[in-house]
Amino acid sequence: MDITTVTLNHYIALSVLLFCLGTLGVLVRRNALLIFMSIELMMNAVNLMLVAFSHYKADLAGQVMVLFIYAVAAGEVAIGLAILIALFRHIKNVDINNFNIMKG
Amino acid sequence: MDWYFWIFAIMALGGALFTISYKDILPCAMGLLTVFIAMAALYLHLNAPLVAVFQVTIYAGAILVLVLFVVMLLMSPGEKIKKAQVNCANRFMGAVLTVGLVLLLGLGTKGLSEVLGSRELSENFGSPGQLGDVLVKKFILHFEVVSVLLLAALVGAIYLAKKRI
Repeated sequence: MDITTVTLNHYIALSVLLFCLGTLGVLVRRNALLIFMSIELMMNAVNLMLVAFSHYKADLAGQVMVLFIYAVAAGEVAIGLAILIALFRHIKNVDINNFNIMKG
Repeated sequence: MDWYFWIFAIMALGGALFTISYKDILPCAMGLLTVFIAMAALYLHLNAPLVAVFQVTIYAGAILVLVLFVVMLLMSPGEKIKKAQVNCANRFMGAVLTVGLVLLLGLGTKGLSEVLGSRELSENFGSPGQLGDVLVKKFILHFEVVSVLLLAALVGAIYLAKKRI
């Protein structure tokens, strides 16, 4: 296999790397907004994987699934940011080290 | 057109790295914008023009603007993200887990394209017309359920935005 031709594996590798960067962001950053952005990053990586599979398997269901994910992502952003603002009203910052009301 | 993939792959990875590592939050959001645009370009390469358009309008447009809006609402200008108690154990664990995840996913999907093979793409594969056809013929129930979900999200957001919750 010629290494320069872009195959499904290239897209899988890119998507896995992006997903893991998103995971790393969630794990190491302490700012709730940045964690939120990292989650968006992970969601995008999954979308890329779906579209790549859709292309290489010649099946449009993958692209339709991405459209549904967009709808869910829009809802998630609206709710997530609303929760964040509600939290900010109580705690006055967005550092997750301070979000410990439920700490057992 | 392989350079196309490499350019935008590097752009996406660079943007992602910038997003998770920079200390100021507004440039981080711009890094995220870079990732979204690079993704849209890759979708075009993968015969998904409609998804690319939605990527730009929904992600780079609506979602990012909403995130920026909240950033400006919650963070005071020029505020650096605090490096509160550099938790080395935490960071180390994060890095180790991530490398493990990369290896696991990478090895798990190795050689998948040979196993799956590839099929010939039909004429105008991924055109908006074809996509809409699949959407309303095969996935009509899901489509309706998503509308209920969006309604629930709308009501939830309004409830959360009330003065006292």
